[in-house]
Amino acid sequence: MKVMMNTGRTVPQGESVERKHSPEYESAASVCFIHPVDMMVLGIEDGAHIRLSGSGGSVVLTAVASETVEQGSVFVPLGPFSNHIVSGETHCTGMPDFKSTMVEIIPTEDPVPSVAELMEALGGVRYAH
Amino acid sequence: MLIKDVVCPFCGCLCDDLDVEVENGRIIRVDNACTLGSKTMVGDDRLKAPIRRDGKGWIETTYDAAIEEAAQILLDADRPLLYGWSRTHGEAQGIGVHLAELIGGVVDNTSTVCHGPSILAIQEVGHPGCTLGQVKNRADLIIYWGCNPIDAHPRHMSRYTTYATGFFVKDAHRDRKVIVVDTRRNESADVATEFVQVEPGGDYAVLSALRAIVRGRGDVVPPSVSGVSREQLVRVAEMCKNAKFGAIFFGLGLTMTAGKNKNVRNAIELTDELNRHTKFIISPMRGHGNVYGTNEVFTWITGYPYAVDFSRGIAFYNPGETTAIDILRRGECDACLVVASDPAAHFPKPCVEHLARIPVVQIDPHPNATTHICRLQIPGSVAGIDAAGTAYRMDGVPIRLKAIIETGVPNDTEILQRLYNRVREAKGE
Amino acid sequence: MTELLIRNACVFDPLNGIRGDVMDIAIRDGRIVESVQNNADVIDASGFLTLPGGIDSHSHVCGTKVNFGRYMSPEDMRAGRTARRGKMHVTSGYYVPTTYGNSYRYSTMGYTTVLEGAMAPLEARHTHEEFNATPLQDMLANTLFDGNWSIMEAVHAQDVKRAAAIVAWTLSSVRGFAIKLTNPGGTEAWGWGGDLTGIRDPVPNFNVTPAEIITTMIEANELLHLPHSVHLHCNNLGKPGNYATTLETFGLVPDLNKNRQTLYATHVQFHAYGGSTWRDICSKADEITKSVNAKPQIVMDMGQIMFGRTMTMTADGPMEFNLYCLHHNKWSNHDVELETGSGIIPVLYSKKSLVNCVMWAIGLELALLTKNPYQCLLATDNPNGAPFVKYPEIIGLLMSKRYRDEECATLHDGIDQRTSISSIDREMDWNEIAIITRAGQARALGIAAQGKGHLAPGAEADLAIYPIRCDDVDPATEYRKVVEGFQKTRFTIKRGRVVARDGDVIVDGANTTFWVNPTIPDEHNVANDPEFVKKFEEYYTVRMSNYPVQDVYLPRGRCIKTEADI
Repeated sequence: MKVMMNTGRTVPQGESVERKHSPEYESAASVCFIHPVDMMVLGIEDGAHIRLSGSGGSVVLTAVASETVEQGSVFVPLGPFSNHIVSGETHCTGMPDFKSTMVEIIPTEDPVPSVAELMEALGGVRYAH
Repeated sequence: MLIKDVVCPFCGCLCDDLDVEVENGRIIRVDNACTLGSKTMVGDDRLKAPIRRDGKGWIETTYDAAIEEAAQILLDADRPLLYGWSRTHGEAQGIGVHLAELIGGVVDNTSTVCHGPSILAIQEVGHPGCTLGQVKNRADLIIYWGCNPIDAHPRHMSRYTTYATGFFVKDAHRDRKVIVVDTRRNESADVATEFVQVEPGGDYAVLSALRAIVRGRGDVVPPSVSGVSREQLVRVAEMCKNAKFGAIFFGLGLTMTAGKNKNVRNAIELTDELNRHTKFIISPMRGHGNVYGTNEVFTWITGYPYAVDFSRGIAFYNPGETTAIDILRRGECDACLVVASDPAAHFPKPCVEHLARIPVVQIDPHPNATTHICRLQIPGSVAGIDAAGTAYRMDGVPIRLKAIIETGVPNDTEILQRLYNRVREAKGE
Repeated sequence: MTELLIRNACVFDPLNGIRGDVMDIAIRDGRIVESVQNNADVIDASGFLTLPGGIDSHSHVCGTKVNFGRYMSPEDMRAGRTARRGKMHVTSGYYVPTTYGNSYRYSTMGYTTVLEGAMAPLEARHTHEEFNATPLQDMLANTLFDGNWSIMEAVHAQDVKRAAAIVAWTLSSVRGFAIKLTNPGGTEAWGWGGDLTGIRDPVPNFNVTPAEIITTMIEANELLHLPHSVHLHCNNLGKPGNYATTLETFGLVPDLNKNRQTLYATHVQFHAYGGSTWRDICSKADEITKSVNAKPQIVMDMGQIMFGRTMTMTADGPMEFNLYCLHHNKWSNHDVELETGSGIIPVLYSKKSLVNCVMWAIGLELALLTKNPYQCLLATDNPNGAPFVKYPEIIGLLMSKRYRDEECATLHDGIDQRTSISSIDREMDWNEIAIITRAGQARALGIAAQGKGHLAPGAEADLAIYPIRCDDVDPATEYRKVVEGFQKTRFTIKRGRVVARDGDVIVDGANTTFWVNPTIPDEHNVANDPEFVKKFEEYYTVRMSNYPVQDVYLPRGRCIKTEADI
């Protein structure tokens, strides 16, 4: 399913943003709010894992049903998870398409990665605090 | 010990009415703050010492050794990028700009991935704004466009707008109308008098339609514009023109969607137009506590609010080229100093991949996503918690952040000054 | 102890009656002294024109709106840029340069003291931060009271002492220097998108008039014994026919102070227009100067415009909106809660525009028709009329009738019908130039007592040595040499130290900020008044305890204490 991904601040993400190693942050930032009808189309339940793929890459997130997003679009808290999908293109404005990236969603059994795993995949070295 | 009138450093609201209880050098209770602010202040989780990457692991190091290594990384670089700055105080930002000047680097701040497009729009058409107290005391119409204050600036409504009692607005609930414009029915929409739901990417068209109606050319507006009915647009335009004092607050819903700076320009020009009928102002909802301060400090030193490239000796500014995202996407910089921000979490993946390839030094108190990809991290104290300094509120009001606990950790100004001195000395000056 | 001897200087020091004497100047530890020892450092001034350091008594260089002028103008930043070199930081900008750009250019022109024309108290911290990044000039801040709610309440209650007490608390809290009124009452009306049309219009919701605000503040100022007088930007700036408002305002002013004026009227060029529309605008400089020549209690500055691009920036928000409606250029506005307003738009003053030509002529007429040079000082309301780097050209115009005639020949033909500039023969001499660029400013600001603007023993050793030999140059004919000479000092000396030489700044600089602290009896101190405190906490968006500017922002602040008569 192709949808438009919007990103932004949520309270749980904001509360834990200075503690990115915490389970609270990882669970707050790795969710994908999706309309229940779209979930039915995908054949998934609340809490299922889904893989989002966009122009910059792909990442596994936890689906959360929400009627505040429109059908055909999803909302992901800003952070390392949503940014795993966004490309660096700025159309000469300096600003990536953080709130307007088309993504392909498929259900998956793969686990949701941790922030450290995401960074390791990019060439980093995990720091355990 | 109870400390009163503490300034919260979290978001651009810079609420300065917090009561903070400190016991044995720790913050144990925060009153008056929103949950974002109080969690930031109470649950502060820091690196205890500088750390450096050693092969496949990490070891602690000293401040002296870390500053020496950071200086060498910057001295060895041909095109260093100095990025971040929005969570630290102005004094540190100033040294950061001078460090970039000294080494011919690029210095950019987090507005580049926040309200950078708003700055571009302001540079085209200006900015009719005011301090937040003007809104609190006078505004009878508030518009939140592409932003969600309840989640991102939780006290904005109670301190400055919807619920705030003002001199000319004694009964805020009754005297003020609120319009929320967004692509989704967010939490803020629930308190609105009028919710305008725009199709994704439709803001520019909706703003244009409103401008046409305000100018008396509603006849050119089709029955529906980006999912908004003409009837609703006419109603909104009338509410605006009939207001005694209207205030538009906008967020990343305009800067990060199709059109970007042109969306903001259109919103500003709508505000200009409304000033021919009544009093209207517009203001970006700035995110980080001191992001507006980075724009101010960069501007008085270099002339530009962000994305300044010193590689030619003079200050050169060309957003889209000298902006951090573009420099990283092109794989251009060969070293990066990150201060008081977390680009590995907030930059697109291709940019973070490049950061992971080059030496990155991070000056930040918290272990964060950038920690995993940097070579060296130097923890400083936190502006507003254990470091004092200047921050600028989203409306430009400068406020002094207080140090409310004593930790003995050097502040960013001290660390950067030592780094600056070391680089300058090594360059034989 | 550091000592310096300047030999062979051709000195004009109007406050001490020295007119072109060739003499030595001795300096010890930053101050002028009678003599120094034989081993003192020596600078040979080679008979060059030597003046006290220049003082700008009205300029916009630091603070919220100036920085916003930069922020919104990358096109101007590109128009003037220099790389880091020696002790000099990168600079950008032509008409709204970066702080270092301002500081270096002023310094190389021999200016050592600058008054920032408008500081909103709520945003004072910002102004002081930029003062610290303007390191080669001592700084002072005019503090805005034109739309101050508490002041208007005191005016309404006809309580001068209360007004004085509010001023005292505010100036000492924000480290301000003087009372500034910008379009008094008009900035509050602009809070609702309105303006006032004259000094007898009531301010909406406050039931006071500009005339009442001005007269009350003049009395309050003198009760507080502030060094400077009230500093006024009159109502109706930039409107054809506004000279009547200006004259009416001047008529309000009593003569209350024997040491200086009672009112400083700033950028009067913008307030001296006859006619009723832009079509029939004409000069009323004759009427304005007739009034000032008869009123020693008034000092004004020119507010000269010069042709070219610049940025207008003022606390006068409604005026800027009117200007925006004329120019359709980019427009910024920034109203400040309970205090004042502000606006910014870029402009181009063109020789093809008759209105602009008339404006240009009026500024010069004001200076040339004012008999006492201490009563009309040189300023452009930088950058509103022109960036201050144009000052040398203005000096040239004032010293040379021929230069004026040559300029007039390039202007719109209508200028002769609308102004009298072509019929004025006066040519200023070196002493008069020294008065309108430093001595007059020192006296008007009341800082001669702080050692500014003169060279008597005990004065601060701020000097400018220009590469001009007064005996060899005839300003009336060789005005180009005059202009070039004033553009770049041979030496600029600040507190006894050479800070600039031949156009290069050679030190990091360490300036001082002057501020006033009037002592008020406790029973009048508004900080102890529960009603004042309650209103503050209710209507401002910062807590009263977070409002005052901390000492850390004035690392070399110098407090001028006064005793109030309350």
